[in-house]
Amino acid sequence: MTCDELRPDYLLYALGVLEEPERSEVRAHLERGCEACAAGLGEARALAFAMGASGDGPAPPRQLRGRILAAAGGVPQRRWSWFTALVAAGSTALAAAGLILYQAHNFRAELAEARIEIERSGAEAADLRQALDLIQAPETREVTFGQDQPAPPRGRVFFHPSGVLLVASRLPAPPPGKTYEMWLIRGGKPVPAGLFTSNRQGNAIYLYRPPTPPAATDVVAVTLEAEGGVDAPTSTPVISAPL
Amino acid sequence: MFPLILAVVAKGDGELMIRLQRRDPQALAELYDRYGQMVFRLILRMVRDNGAAEDLVQETFLRVWNRVGGFDSDRGAVGPWLLAVARNRAIDYLRSKGHRTESTIDLNETEHPALFADLPTDVFHFDLVRQVKRALEQLDSQAREAIELAYFEGMSQSEIAARMGQPLGTVKTWMRRALQQMRKALGGAITA
Ligand SMILES: [Zn+2]
Repeated sequence: MTCDELRPDYLLYALGVLEEPERSEVRAHLERGCEACAAGLGEARALAFAMGASGDGPAPPRQLRGRILAAAGGVPQRRWSWFTALVAAGSTALAAAGLILYQAHNFRAELAEARIEIERSGAEAADLRQALDLIQAPETREVTFGQDQPAPPRGRVFFHPSGVLLVASRLPAPPPGKTYEMWLIRGGKPVPAGLFTSNRQGNAIYLYRPPTPPAATDVVAVTLEAEGGVDAPTSTPVISAPL
Repeated sequence: MFPLILAVVAKGDGELMIRLQRRDPQALAELYDRYGQMVFRLILRMVRDNGAAEDLVQETFLRVWNRVGGFDSDRGAVGPWLLAVARNRAIDYLRSKGHRTESTIDLNETEHPALFADLPTDVFHFDLVRQVKRALEQLDSQAREAIELAYFEGMSQSEIAARMGQPLGTVKTWMRRALQQMRKALGGAITA
């Protein structure tokens, strides 16, 4: 399609509601650097802004300003937030757990943003209490993964003598009949460390608590395996976190 | 009256965003003072619930605060970004309330701060908001309803067709015609 034919669709595209096949058409123009479409979308965003700003209505309640500022106070900037992923993985227990974290790390803004998401999701609680104890334990080692990789997933591994917590984002939900399996690798030898999945949003939080403390580990890895799990990995790791 | 204030406040936004990127809490207070009412009115209009609107306004500002690193303070337009984030929070809320089935469309794609760089500068023309309002009022009622469902409820054209009990082709024709009509009514007001 030509830019002219796409012009009436720019607003819908900017609003995120344009359907296929027009949506892919607009995207293709943008991806090949079409200046006419880029400019048209800029106009559409300006128009969308004017539409959104054109309403009347009451002023917000006075205390809202203070509430927002309190929630945001003293937040460190983080490129990728494991905490947000943790929360996005979803659990009501996390609301309480979040308070502990807040005291521990002062991630207030993320917490407040997240709390609302949790309250709304009403998702089922995992054993987050344990997870939080583990995160906060002084002997826990924390490593990130995926940051220098071209593609996701990204996340963090918390390694403690009593267990391993994995928090990942943008990890696609496994296809039917498949599952993720975690491995603790020592001297090149992988030891199975349990099965887990990610949710539809691509978030995963998995706590591995073996009956006996895990052996010293060099790398925590995750592979996609057949449902039920396997004794040794059969595919390339999707996650690999050297400790 | 209101659009005039807008034109004035937009001037210092670049400097404000730099301070936000440096994590200056006072800058967040100023951002709220500039845009809090606009954000609140938009969200309240969409969700029609005061308590929910307050939560969503908070979410909006915190999201911007947490993601301001990706914003280009020289070329970006914070007002349009902020309202896009606000609209998406409200649509998420409407969807989660189960008013309708979840759309496959990913709202996050529409609110990346980089998308709000190099918008036509006249976005802050003091008359633009009023002109857009008038242009909308001049559309025939069905076309206007369709555009409002797309904006305020985040509906796709198929969803709009189902809601209005009209064939998809008819809705598409209405909307295309209406958007052309709006472009014409706005003349050069939007184009930089
Ligand atoms: Zn084009």
